[in-house]
Amino acid sequence: MKLELTADQEFFRETTRKFLESESPLTAVRQRWDSPDGFDRGWWRAAADLGWTSLLVPEQLGGGTLSGSPVADAVIVAEEMGRMVAPGPFVPVNVVASTLATWGSADQQALIAGLVSGDEVAAWAFAEPGRSWDADAVRLTLTVDGGDVVLAGRKAYVEAAAQAGHLLVTARADAGLTQVLLATDTAGLTVVPGRSIDIVRRYGSVVFDDVRLPGSALVGEVGGAEAAVERQLQIAVALQCAETVGAADRVFETTVEYAQDRYAFGRPIASFQALKHRIADMLQWLEFSKALSDAAAAAVDADATDGEAARLVSVAKAYIADHCLDIIDDCVQLNGGIGVTWEHDIHLYSRRAAVNRAVWGSPEEHKERVAALLEI
Amino acid sequence: MTDARDQAVDEDVESFRIRARAWIEANLPDRDHPGDDDRALQALLFDSGFAGIAFPREYGGAGLTLAHQKVFYDEVRAAHRWAPCGMPWQVSIGMMAPTILDHGSEELKRRHLPRMLRGEETWMQLLSEPRGGSDLAGATTRLTRDGDTYVLNGAKMWSSGAHTCDFGLCLARTDWDAPKHRGLSMIAVPLHDTPGLVLEVIRAVDGNPGHFCQEFFDDVVVPVENLVGEENSGWAVAQSLLFHERNATGGAGYGYGLQNARPTNRQAQRSADGVIATAKQRGVGGDPVLRQLMAESYIEYTASRFANDRIAAGMRTGQFKGPWGSLLKLHLGALSSRHAKIGLAVGGADGVIWEGDAKVGGVAGEAWLSARGIAIAGGTNEIQRNIVSERLLGLPREPSPDRDLPFSEVVRNQHR
Ligand SMILES: Cc1cc2nc3c(=O)[nH]c(=O)nc-3n(C[C@H](O)[C@H](O)[C@H](O)COP(=O)(O)OP(=O)(O)OC[C@H]3O[C@@H](n4cnc5c(N)ncnc54)[C@H](O)[C@@H]3O)c2cc1C
Repeated sequence: MKLELTADQEFFRETTRKFLESESPLTAVRQRWDSPDGFDRGWWRAAADLGWTSLLVPEQLGGGTLSGSPVADAVIVAEEMGRMVAPGPFVPVNVVASTLATWGSADQQALIAGLVSGDEVAAWAFAEPGRSWDADAVRLTLTVDGGDVVLAGRKAYVEAAAQAGHLLVTARADAGLTQVLLATDTAGLTVVPGRSIDIVRRYGSVVFDDVRLPGSALVGEVGGAEAAVERQLQIAVALQCAETVGAADRVFETTVEYAQDRYAFGRPIASFQALKHRIADMLQWLEFSKALSDAAAAAVDADATDGEAARLVSVAKAYIADHCLDIIDDCVQLNGGIGVTWEHDIHLYSRRAAVNRAVWGSPEEHKERVAALLEI
Repeated sequence: MTDARDQAVDEDVESFRIRARAWIEANLPDRDHPGDDDRALQALLFDSGFAGIAFPREYGGAGLTLAHQKVFYDEVRAAHRWAPCGMPWQVSIGMMAPTILDHGSEELKRRHLPRMLRGEETWMQLLSEPRGGSDLAGATTRLTRDGDTYVLNGAKMWSSGAHTCDFGLCLARTDWDAPKHRGLSMIAVPLHDTPGLVLEVIRAVDGNPGHFCQEFFDDVVVPVENLVGEENSGWAVAQSLLFHERNATGGAGYGYGLQNARPTNRQAQRSADGVIATAKQRGVGGDPVLRQLMAESYIEYTASRFANDRIAAGMRTGQFKGPWGSLLKLHLGALSSRHAKIGLAVGGADGVIWEGDAKVGGVAGEAWLSARGIAIAGGTNEIQRNIVSERLLGLPREPSPDRDLPFSEVVRNQHR
């Protein structure tokens, strides 16, 4: 939550916030609990119209940044989405669009227009069942067979897998990490739709039963995807951190208000020192989370190659996923009984924070990454 | 004023950055080999127009803004150079000088500020008393007007640097019939060769002579001109002092830039690098639990670095009003013990037991013993939490039954 935004960014934040408040209020989010997709296609196209899907795509491919710092721009959307626990495949679409813009062939880049307009949805299949969110943990095999490549294995926890028309898949070839882009109706590929504790965010598994693709499906070289995968992870984590911070920010705001209006023993509960002190700690965690989220986004924008971006992204994820979850959790406590009912909105945020904690690597995994990057 | 200061009139931040960078590269020592004469370096900064960058020119400052000051210290850090920082500068220039600037008489400002900024004179604070430190407004040190002078009686405690500094800003009671906050005055007490003043260094928890002292005042005569602010308006002066203290501790100080701090050995042990080095030395760097803990330390210190920048920016742009430095101080106070505990984990038995004089991680135990100091000095963690909840978030204030009573009727410590 940057303190110093450009005028364009300020305007973008305002239109994003207004759009979410009018087109995706919490009542509408709740109603999507029973919908298979979690979001409405027309709604997603309207969101795309506001620029949600074009920020990480260069101008010549139909996108453009507001400030010259595309990740910092996209973070604005993520924060607002967090504040409203919004639906929509924001992270996967932006990650795939960004990678296709940098590493995709001209044919593959043809998909970008649809992603930018919101007509097409793409997902990134990266993690595997029971394994860590780490490039080294990728086991899905890619075998080169003449001019073709063959994929075998299984992916899990893929956001919007069942809603996507295309998948960006990270696989392992003898030569190393390799990525392909393929349509979800390709023969041999099965998408198993799943659910998460989030109200509107859908995940799925993908089974690759010797899926045969032409070499033109490769995104970059066989064995040459390491930099792309690292970049994708950094963008995903930076956006996710911003979303989690937005969620905690909103919960904190409403809870502090509530604590001043709610009376017990003849005084506002916010006058009890036991609660005041916890609220003070929460503000400290929240402000530190905002500082780290912005720092991570700036580092990814700077595309620092000296490991600075990798380190800061993991620092941010470890800190934010942990502390923002604690903020939300303690706010449940401050709300009392109403906080553990379906009726109260706070659980929408608890859900999002718990899913975000795990996806793209837990704080524990990111701490291990920090330790490795520090060469401990 | 020197030429360098004239050059600075209306200088925009980016031109200043270029000028500062060139000067820093030509003049400041490498931060790993800074030499040991900070006083001479401070004088060099002053003579070149880079001391008290955000202080008015008539008092020896550069007449620029906090944004310029931040740029200067960012450049010092980026160039891996050293500019004086830590004690006593952190207190004298970062807290006392801005307090004098806010409340001192014209004469005090003209006489002392240039000397403070040049490092010729160092100041510290005499606030806490044996009676208590959190309830500062309950001070019972007595200041009595006697003709053309004041007379000081009582005791102060925990006074950091009193044994090395030239002046102490002392909070004392001038009116015992007024409510506690309205009977206080702030006065500058000379600390060298002052008749009636006895000063003792307190032994710290690690067994070494501490950096703090206890003072006894027995009819100490202080000139009337040394009063800072009006008689009985000492609480306002103390508030402004504490404001500058929290900012300076958090690295968002006025008139100074603490992002530049040079870690001493003990502080290095507190920073993540210290625990990592100990882990390597002990061959436990591969332990998965310890790796999590060491990463946590690194993460917290990294967080505080960016939070400092954020809060400094918020205060500079006016989006953060009030004592936001308290958030940084609170983090530091909470982190210090947590980090020291991680040090104990990494140090293991070697952190607390050693053969002969070869302390391997032996510092870990001592660092842990001292770590609570940060959680207590400059307003305890609890007091910071009160400030954050009440003054940053506007939550209801703690009840204070003594607030409107004449101070002479206020209940004080029970004697056992
Ligand atoms: C290393 C170090 C350096 C120092 N340097 C200086 C210095 O240079 N100048 C100076 O004047 N002082 C200095 N101090 C003193 C410091 O400011 C005081 O120790 C501090 O303010 C606490 O006062 P106290 O020790 O009397 O504890 P008390 O005020 O007696 O507090 C005891 C306990 O009660 C808690 N408490 C008190 N009031 C409340 C409340 N309203 N709500 C909740 N809990 C409360 C406190 O948090 C603490 O845990 C220094 C202290 C240390 C440790």
